[in-house]
Amino acid sequence: MKRLLLATTTVLGTLAAMAQNSCATAYTVTAGTYTITLVDGTEPPTLVCTGGPTAAHAEWYRYTPAADHSLTITTDLPANVGRDTRFHVYTGGCAALACVGGDDDGGSGYLSTASLNVTQGVTYLIAFDDRWEDDGFQFRLIEEEPVEELVGFHSEPISTSGYSICVVDMNGDHLDDVVSVGANNIRIHHQQAGGGFVQTDISTTTADNTPSWSLAAGDIDGNGFNDLMYGGGGGVTFMMADATGTAFTEVSFPEYVFCQRTNMVDINNDGALDAFSCHDVDANVFYLNDGNGALTFNQGGFGPTCGNYGSVWVDYDNDGDVDLFVAKCGCDPEDILYRNNGDGTFTDVAPSLGLNDTHQSWSSAWGDYDNDGDMDVVIGSSSSGYHKVMRNNGDGTFTDVNTGSGFDLFTGQSIEWNTRDFNNDGYLDVIGAGALMMGNGDMTFTMTTIQPSNGPIGDLNNDGFLDILNGSTVHYNNGNENHWVTVNTVGTTSNVNGIGARVQVTSALGTQIREVRSGDGFEFMSSLNSHFGLGADTEIDEIVVYWPSGIVNVVHTAEVNSTVTIVEGVFEGIADEVYSPALAVFPNPVQQVLNVSAEKALGNAPVTVHEVSGKLVLSGTLQNGRLDVSGLVPGVYVLQVISEDGNLRTRFTKQ
Amino acid sequence: MRNVRSAQVTKVLGAVLIIVAAFGACRKDDPESPTPEPPGTGPTSPVVFDINAVPYAQLSTYNFFQGPMADQQPSYGVLPFEPISTLFTDYAKKKRFVWMPSGVKAQYAADGALLDFADGTVLIKNFYYDNVQPGGDRRIIETRLMFRRNGAWEFADYVWNAEQTEATFDLVGSNTAVEWVDDNSVARSIDYRIPSHAECATCHKSYSQPVPIGTKPQNLNGDFAYEDGSMNQLAKWELMGYLESGFPSGINTVVDYHDVTQDLEMRVRSYVDINCAHCHADGGHCDYRPMRFAFGATIDPVNLGVCVEPDDPIDPSQTHIVSRGNTARSMMYYRINSNDEAVRMPLFGRTIIHEEAVDMIGEWIDGLSPPCP
Repeated sequence: MKRLLLATTTVLGTLAAMAQNSCATAYTVTAGTYTITLVDGTEPPTLVCTGGPTAAHAEWYRYTPAADHSLTITTDLPANVGRDTRFHVYTGGCAALACVGGDDDGGSGYLSTASLNVTQGVTYLIAFDDRWEDDGFQFRLIEEEPVEELVGFHSEPISTSGYSICVVDMNGDHLDDVVSVGANNIRIHHQQAGGGFVQTDISTTTADNTPSWSLAAGDIDGNGFNDLMYGGGGGVTFMMADATGTAFTEVSFPEYVFCQRTNMVDINNDGALDAFSCHDVDANVFYLNDGNGALTFNQGGFGPTCGNYGSVWVDYDNDGDVDLFVAKCGCDPEDILYRNNGDGTFTDVAPSLGLNDTHQSWSSAWGDYDNDGDMDVVIGSSSSGYHKVMRNNGDGTFTDVNTGSGFDLFTGQSIEWNTRDFNNDGYLDVIGAGALMMGNGDMTFTMTTIQPSNGPIGDLNNDGFLDILNGSTVHYNNGNENHWVTVNTVGTTSNVNGIGARVQVTSALGTQIREVRSGDGFEFMSSLNSHFGLGADTEIDEIVVYWPSGIVNVVHTAEVNSTVTIVEGVFEGIADEVYSPALAVFPNPVQQVLNVSAEKALGNAPVTVHEVSGKLVLSGTLQNGRLDVSGLVPGVYVLQVISEDGNLRTRFTKQ
Repeated sequence: MRNVRSAQVTKVLGAVLIIVAAFGACRKDDPESPTPEPPGTGPTSPVVFDINAVPYAQLSTYNFFQGPMADQQPSYGVLPFEPISTLFTDYAKKKRFVWMPSGVKAQYAADGALLDFADGTVLIKNFYYDNVQPGGDRRIIETRLMFRRNGAWEFADYVWNAEQTEATFDLVGSNTAVEWVDDNSVARSIDYRIPSHAECATCHKSYSQPVPIGTKPQNLNGDFAYEDGSMNQLAKWELMGYLESGFPSGINTVVDYHDVTQDLEMRVRSYVDINCAHCHADGGHCDYRPMRFAFGATIDPVNLGVCVEPDDPIDPSQTHIVSRGNTARSMMYYRINSNDEAVRMPLFGRTIIHEEAVDMIGEWIDGLSPPCP
């Protein structure tokens, strides 16, 4: 038995008991204060907007604003001290509920409060459930002026099963799919071209190791279907997709590995995708590909000690090969950065770069936050410590810019830190600790809170705005007016996913870079598609892909709000160019004069030299195949020659 | 003496009786204890332990046990012991022994600190299950050793063969399926984990140095049912010449968490000490989290996590490590009640839930008040 009293207005008279026991019988409410005497409605919501399990009972209300408002729903009221409440807010009607808000403990104690922008005429359903207790309480609806929302999400359920930690294309159509994994099942929700998903369950042998710590994906055997790497507490299992993507073969390794972050990456740059796992209690391990998809276990050379949590393969020094950064914690918390020397060897350079922090960190977010052509980093803390924001100076060194960055005042701790552009403004944001640190493009960040927590990131409705999977809930980005472009990379000489490729998009707001990474943040596997927000820009000047092979693709015909698939070394159109290795430079690295040659003599052909970021630093002509580069500062450059055979490009390093 | 082999190191005891374990779980066919040697003549331990040659390839080489090795009857000088509160390891049963070379003994350091052992000391721990299906037999799975050499502890592990006649050195780690019917007649099935060296070192370390866990006065200051009668273990060690005399009499001692007649909070503190404190202590694997679970530290409820907010909750509804009166909001309860290997605590040594511990800790949390602010 319950009563509902309208405490602040006198519009309503006696209310029918039990009226709000189900969604269909939700009681209509407006701004004001109401009393629930007992949470005993027999239709608890099956879609939980707050995270956590479902409840046994709920009370339902219906709210339709007469004008656009910011609506605050709160139980954080003096009458409720000591109570423990939770509520969910939906649109879509009872038959197709979609979360737009909700809260568990946002108020004082265990009380709840949430604000969201509501639209005139739209009906919102509010369900208070008894996740914690049945006892009654008051709630209040407050209408205020709408507030500008930096980024918003709405959510819908998806029937994942097991470890729901992967969003990646599994069938080669470059639409992100949802992959959830159990010990003997792989469930794929294939995103359809017209929207929505088709669920497929593929039975597997019972995996020796399940992805309890992390999952990575990539096409190890190059058959066109992505394989999965399970990072378990006792070792690594690979699930290799067959040539039709309809079955998986288990490849488990017997060696003990207390996996943390796993990655797929071409470590030795032989064109075949290898794999790597952080080891919590011993030296890191990696699995080298023989070129035919057969992997061998290796240990050593990438950090000799324990405490390895969050690996990211990143080209921090713009020399065209992947380096390894590991955020560390626990027994040896000193972070490491193994520079790829380009000759198959790696050297830990973290101490010399000021990146060997000893704070407790499980992951780091590497991205070009100031769009100056190099990878900066936010190393997030996981335990009562400081975050670290480091600007890449472009010459292989870093400057600590934490003070004033926004992270200096943000005390949230998390094992999971990652970066994407969630509002498509052309500046990378950082997600972690229940917050979205919105990048301002100048190494500073503005904190905002969002409904989803960390999870795998991808575009699950192909609208150009990035979505987040949390368990069995997809949080769809509400989007905005900003433009975007998504670049899909198909390797030919390099690995087929293009993992390790640097993708560069230039538009009026500047030049942005991404790296194709399998495995960033701590636990989750996010899309292999490279997503760029473009702000208000309506034109894309150029897209450049620097492949691990050294091949460079340049595309000038891309449109905003579109998806561009670039195949390594293949012309996509008349205005596009590709570098052929036939353009040779020596010496490389060079100190004074570069000798440039191609199949046909280049003579005094016009040349340009750009920084990797796209900035033009030299323009002129060759002098009988020679170019004086003594005036350039040390670094990596792109050389473009206008030859009889078209534009040829290559990269060189100035010492 | 029987079967005295060419012991490179021998133990001569000027005292008393030979000590043999008398476990309640012993089978009826356990052999009788060896005949006591008369005082003064000094029986010699048959244990073979060449500190420059260990670890041996086979467990039998040490001669730790007399008679059929599977009977687990310790040789002279191999003293059984048991911490008052014990580590849960998937309901495995255990027999523990200590052996020291002649002329050395351990020193008391502090109630809650490891005894200061001498080089050559060996700690021996057999892991076994009874009523293993289908035969209903006992199966000894592994014998873990820690021994001290050059002032540092080292690990060895011996995996028993199917015939239960020999165990072979193995620190690579492996899994083995075990199906048994437990003492409550519950049929259980697990994929038992035999640890690798790295796993041993994860729990058994302090500031990256290998250390034992259980051999602290606070854990040993209780009676043990020796073959010749029940006696306080520290007193027995002293009598055996294994512990220097003069240690304090009033030792701050844990309780047996199985003992429901004991104070509930003391049981909980004793449980987390032996099951959790090796990681959640300064220098432990997870010392970066705020809990400090050692028995001496948990006198302060903050060190138990009471009303302490977690750094990074798995689920945001877990508002505290221990939320007074509210198990559903207590991360400790959530973790000990989970089998997910990325969630469960302790991380190592268990693949199934320790149900009695969950009940005990749940009862303790439920009884705490007032609610956390």
